Amino acid sequence: MWQYVVRKLLWNIPVYLGILLVVMVALRVNDPVWARLGKNATQEQYEQTKEDLGLHESFLRQYGRLLNGFDLDRYSWDKHGRTVRQELSQAVWPSLAIAGPALVLTTLVALLTALLAAFRRGRPLDRWLMAGAVVGMSISYVVYVILGQYFGAYKLNEWVGREIFAIQGYDRSQPLWWVQYCLLPVLINAALAVGYDARFYRAVIVEESTRDHVRTARAKGLSERRVWLKHVLRNAMISVITHVMITLPFLVAGQIVIEVYFGIPGMGSTLITAILGKDFPIVQGFTAVFAALFIVTNIATDVLYAVVDPRVRLQ
Amino acid sequence: MRLLAVLLAFASLATAQEKVLRIPIRADGPKTLDPVRGSTQYEAEVCEQVYETLVQYSYLEYPKLEPLLLEEMPKVDGLVYRFKLKKGVRFRDDPCFPDGKGRELVAKDVFYSWKRMADKRNQPKAWWLFEQTIKGFDAYREAQNKAGKFDYDAPVEGMRILSDHEFEVELTEPVYRFLYVLAMFQTAVVPREAAERYGDAFSGHPVGTGPFLLSRDEDWQRTKSIVLHRNPGYREAFFPDAGGEARHEAAGKRIPFADRIEITFFQEDQPMWLEWKAKNLDYVTVPSENFTEAYTKRKRTLRPEWEEQGVTSAPIPLLDFIWQCGFNMEDPLVGGYTEEKRALRKAISYAVDLEETNDRFYNSINVVYDGMIPPGLDGHPPEGRSPKGARGPDLDKARALLAKAGYPDGKGLPPLEYWSATGTIQQEMLELLQRQLGKIGVQLKPRFVDFSQLTEAVHEKRAQLFGFAWGSDYPDGENNLALFYGPNESPGSNSFNYKNAEYDELYQRIRTMGPSPERTELYARMRDMVLEDCPFVGAMARTRFYLIRPRLRNCRPCETFWNWLKYLDVDPGAK
Amino acid sequence: MLFSRAVRKFRKSRLAVISAIGILAYLAIGIGIFLGLVTREDAFECVGPNHVPGFGAAQKPEKRFDDVDFELGLFERALKRGDKEEALAEIRLGRRRVADVPVEELEKRLDAAFEIFDELDVSRDLNREPQLWPKLGELEAAAARLWQPLEGRDAFSQRVKLAFGTDRQGRSILLRSVYAVKIALQIGIIVGVASVIVGTLLGAAAAYYGGWVDHLVQWLYSTLSSVPYLVLLSVLVFMFQGSAVEQSLVPLYAAFGLTFWIGPCRVVRGEVLRIKQLDYVQAATALGQRRSLILLKHVIPNVSHVMLVQFSLLFISAIKAEVVLTFLGLGVKDEPSWGIMISQAKQEVVNGFFWQIGAATAVMFLLVLAFNIFTDALQDALDPKHIA
Repeated sequence: MWQYVVRKLLWNIPVYLGILLVVMVALRVNDPVWARLGKNATQEQYEQTKEDLGLHESFLRQYGRLLNGFDLDRYSWDKHGRTVRQELSQAVWPSLAIAGPALVLTTLVALLTALLAAFRRGRPLDRWLMAGAVVGMSISYVVYVILGQYFGAYKLNEWVGREIFAIQGYDRSQPLWWVQYCLLPVLINAALAVGYDARFYRAVIVEESTRDHVRTARAKGLSERRVWLKHVLRNAMISVITHVMITLPFLVAGQIVIEVYFGIPGMGSTLITAILGKDFPIVQGFTAVFAALFIVTNIATDVLYAVVDPRVRLQ
Repeated sequence: MRLLAVLLAFASLATAQEKVLRIPIRADGPKTLDPVRGSTQYEAEVCEQVYETLVQYSYLEYPKLEPLLLEEMPKVDGLVYRFKLKKGVRFRDDPCFPDGKGRELVAKDVFYSWKRMADKRNQPKAWWLFEQTIKGFDAYREAQNKAGKFDYDAPVEGMRILSDHEFEVELTEPVYRFLYVLAMFQTAVVPREAAERYGDAFSGHPVGTGPFLLSRDEDWQRTKSIVLHRNPGYREAFFPDAGGEARHEAAGKRIPFADRIEITFFQEDQPMWLEWKAKNLDYVTVPSENFTEAYTKRKRTLRPEWEEQGVTSAPIPLLDFIWQCGFNMEDPLVGGYTEEKRALRKAISYAVDLEETNDRFYNSINVVYDGMIPPGLDGHPPEGRSPKGARGPDLDKARALLAKAGYPDGKGLPPLEYWSATGTIQQEMLELLQRQLGKIGVQLKPRFVDFSQLTEAVHEKRAQLFGFAWGSDYPDGENNLALFYGPNESPGSNSFNYKNAEYDELYQRIRTMGPSPERTELYARMRDMVLEDCPFVGAMARTRFYLIRPRLRNCRPCETFWNWLKYLDVDPGAK
Repeated sequence: MLFSRAVRKFRKSRLAVISAIGILAYLAIGIGIFLGLVTREDAFECVGPNHVPGFGAAQKPEKRFDDVDFELGLFERALKRGDKEEALAEIRLGRRRVADVPVEELEKRLDAAFEIFDELDVSRDLNREPQLWPKLGELEAAAARLWQPLEGRDAFSQRVKLAFGTDRQGRSILLRSVYAVKIALQIGIIVGVASVIVGTLLGAAAAYYGGWVDHLVQWLYSTLSSVPYLVLLSVLVFMFQGSAVEQSLVPLYAAFGLTFWIGPCRVVRGEVLRIKQLDYVQAATALGQRRSLILLKHVIPNVSHVMLVQFSLLFISAIKAEVVLTFLGLGVKDEPSWGIMISQAKQEVVNGFFWQIGAATAVMFLLVLAFNIFTDALQDALDPKHIA
C-alpha cells in the first residue's frame, strides 16, 4: 500500500511542475505588459512595468519564484497597495462559505435521488428522475442563476414584503449574514449540480448492484437490506468519495458565475475581474493556487483510496 | 442574543417620538469622511452634514451663494477678499480638545484646512480647485512637499490673518470660481487637533461644526449605512426666509429639525426601490428601469397610485455632460486637426442618433444638446442646438464627410477601438452605436474594461474612442469648458487631449470673468470652436426624478450641494 | 457487424430517433443561415418598438400608446430634416416602409394622428381609463396609415420577425436566437471535431506505444486537467487579449480545443489498451505489419464509436461553455449568440419581460436536450455495459 501511495506522490511532482509551466507560458504568449499598456505606451513605461512585475528576469528564475510560494507578495496591478496574498486571503472565505455548504447539500440530495432511482431501477420513478436530470442538465446554468435570483430574491422579497435573501452583496457584519447573502447562492449552486451528480451516483450504484458478489450474497440468502448496505453502498461509497474529493477544487472555480452575479467577493469573481482587467499578478497567483489546491486534493484522494479500497490496501 | 438586541433596537425606535430621516444613497457610500480626501458626490452627501464651508448655496434661491460660517459675504477689493467669520461657531465635543469640549472656530482653522489640500501626504483629491488661485499658495505647496516635513505654520503670501474672526485672501488674478470653491465640501473647515491626533483614522472620525455628527465611529458601517445624530451644540440657526410672497411655512424656525439621519447605501437599484415601496425611505431617486412604474412615460407625470399615497415628485435636471463617444485627439487615426480628420469625426457624429439611445435606454428622459454646457447654464445653446453642432442622424452628410475624409463608404478605415466600462447596458449601447455607424460603413471594435481601468486607459491616452460622462462641480459653464483647456490634458480632466491655442487664451480670459452677456458670448464662441473640431459626439444631460413621501416636509432636492438635510422636517408618527 | 446491431438497437428507441431528427433539423437551419437565410444584418435590424411581447400577445394600453409614440417620433424627426424624401426613405422597421404617398399627404396623415394623440395625451394613466381605449384603437389605425400596407410575403415575414417579440432595441428576438444557431453549431462542430481528432490520436498513440509516449501524454492531460476548466478557459482567453484576433472566435476555439481533447484522449487510451490485446491486432503484429499502420488501419477504426460519443459530449459542453464565458465577458462579443442574449436579458427579467431569455433558452435547450438524449442512446447502443 505504501508503495502505491509513494508512487502516486511521485507522479504528482511532474504534474505540478507542468501546471505552473503551462500557466506561465499561457500568460506570457501574448506579452502581458503590452496587453496591459496598449500600443501607445512608451518604451520606458514598458521597461518599468516589466521590472515591477519581475518579468525582466530569466524565465527560469521566474519559474523558480513561482514554484517557491506562487509569487504571492507581488502587488496587484489594479488594487493599489494590495498584494496578491492579501487579495487571496480575503477572497478565500466568501468562496468557502458557499462552496462548502453547497457541496454537502448537493452530495446529500444527489445521493438520495440516485439511491431512489437505483432502487427502483427501470420503474417509472427512476425514469422520471433521470429524465428530469437530463432536462435540467440541458438548460444553461446561467439561466438558473438569473431566474434563481429573480424569483428567489426579488419576487420572494416582494411577496413577503421584506428582505429575506439579499439580491446581491456580502456583508459579514450583519446578523444572520449567511442566510441573507449565502443561502440563496448555495441553493442555486446545489440545484444546478444535482442533476450531474445524481446521474453519476446512480450509474455507480447500479453498477455495484449488478456485480457478481452481490448476486452471490443474495443467493446466500442475505436480507435485501444487508445486501444494499454492506455490499452495494459500501463499495459505491468509494466512488462517491473520490468523486466528491475531485470536485472539491472545481467547485470553487465552478461557482464563478454565481459569485460574479451575486456580487460575492470570492476567488472566482476576483479572478474574473483580474482577467478582464489584465491584472497579471493576480491571474498568475490565483491560477497557480487553484492548481496547487487540485494537486493537494488529488494526493489526498489517492491516499484515501489506498486506505479504503481493499484491492489497493492488500497490495 | 444578537437577534434579540436587534429586536430591542426596533422596539425603542417605535416608542420614542424621535424625528428620523431615512435616506438612500444609490452607491456604496463614501470612502472617506475627510473632506480633503473626498471627491465623489456620496462623500459630499455625508461630509456636508458634519462639516461646514465658508459659504453655501441658498436653499430657496439656488444658485445664489450665501454666508454659512461667515458673518457676511466677503468684501472684494480688487484681488483681495476680506472675510469675517461668525462668532460662537463651535466644533463638536471630542477627546482631541482639552477637557473634551469643542472650542470655537477661528480664522487660523480656515487656513489650516486649506493647507491640508496642499499636503500630498493627505492624498488630497481636489487641489485643482486652488491651483493658480491664491498668491504664493502654489509655491508654498511645492516647497513644503519637497521638504521633509510639511510645515503648516509657514506663511503664504496671499493668506493673512487679521484677528481671530477676520482674515483676508489675495488672489493671483480675479478667479471667478473662487467663491464657488468655498462652497465645496473639500474646503470645509476642520480642527487641527483632530486631524493631527487621529491621523489616517480621521477619515472615519469626523470632528466638525455641522448640524449633525457621527456619535460613534461604529455608526458608519462601510458600504452599508451611516447614522448621524443631531449636534446638540449646534449654534442658533434658522430656516431661511426668502421674504415676500415666497415666504416658506417653516421660515424662521430653528434648524436642524431631525434628531437622527439614517443613510442606507444601495449598490443596486432594485433593493432600494423595494425599500421605498415598503415605505422605509423618505425619498428616493427613481431608477430608470422603474421609471414607468412611477411616471407616465410621455408626460412624466406621477402615476395616480402614487399620488393617492400623497407622494410628491421633484424632477432635478442634472448638470450633466454625457458624451456618446469621445475621440482621443492625439490618436494618429481619429485625432488631429486637418480637414480630413475633422471630416472623419463629423461623419461619425452625423451618423449617430442620440434620440434613439435616449429612447431605448433612458425612457426618453434625457435632454440631448449640442456642445458641452448643460441646460440651465450660461453658454447652453438656445433650444440645445448650435449651428456648428454635427447632430445626427443625417446619413447623407455623414457619407459625404466620410468620403471627404478619404474613406468612401468606410473603405480603408480600420475598425475603431471603442473603450467602455463593462456591463450589459454598455454592451447593448455599443451594439446600438455599431448599428448606427454600420449604416455608413464605420466598424467599431469594442474594448470592455472595468470603470477604473477605463479612466486609467483614458488618462494614459491609450483609448482611441471612449464613452463616459462629466458632472459639473459647480453651476458654471466654465467648469465644463475646462474639459477642453490644453494644459488640462490627460491625466487631467481634458480626456480628449484637445488643444487649441486660441481656445486656451479665451479660457484664461473667462476664468476671471463674472456672469455677463459678454462672458456668455465668449462661452458660446468657445463652445462652437470645440464643436467645429468635433472631439466628441454628444451630448446628453440626465434628469433625476425624486419621489418624496408625505411625512417629509420642506424637501427641495438639489444635487450640487447637500447640506439641505438640516432643513428637512418629518412627521414622526407617519410612515 | 457491431454497427448494424447498434443501429438496430438505436432505432428501437423512439426518443433517440426523434432526437436525431431534431439535431438534423438544427443542422439544416445552420446550413441555411450559412447560405444566407438569415443574415447578420437581419439579426441587428430594428423591426419594431422595444420589448414587444411575442405571438402578438396583448399589451397594456400605456405600452401601446408608447409604441405609437415611438413610431410617430420616427416620422416627426424625419420630416424636420432638410431633405424630407431622403429622410423618409431611411425609415424602416423590418419590412415596413413609409407609405408610398407624396410628402404633403404624409404630413397630413401625421398631423391627423397627432390630433388623436393629443386627445389621448390628457389621460394620466390609460391603463385605468377604459373609456379611452377605443380612441387608442383609432390612434393605432391612424398611425398605421403612415406605413405602406404589407402584403403577401412581406406581411408574413414581418409576422415571423415579431413572433417572439423584440428586445430593448426593437430587434427581432426570433431572428437573433435563430441566427445564434449558426454560432453554436460553428463552435460545437469545430471544437468537437478538432478535440476528438487530437484526443484520439494522442490517446491511441499513448496506449499503443506505451513507454515514454504514454507517460508524456498522461502527464500532459493530468497537467491540463489540474486547472479547473473554467479557470483554464479564462486564462487561455486572457492569453489572446490585446492581440489581433481578440474580438473574433479564435480565442474561444483555442481555449476549448486545448482543454477539451482530454476527455476523448482518456477514453480512447483505455479502449485501445483493451483492443491492443485482441487477437487480430496481435495477429497483425505477428505478420510484421508496420506499427503505425496497424494503429491507423486496425486500432483507430475500432474506436470510432467512442469518438462519436465523445464528439457529441464535447459538442454539448462547448455550446454551454460559450454561454458561460460570454456571460462573464470573455466569450462572443460581436455576434448574436445565446450567451449574449441571455446576459442581455438580465435587466429585462427584473422588469418581468421574459421573451428574450425564454427564446434563447428554449432554442438552446432543444438542441442540447436532443444531443443529450442522442448521446445516451448512442452509448446504450454501442456499449452493452453502459447503464443509462
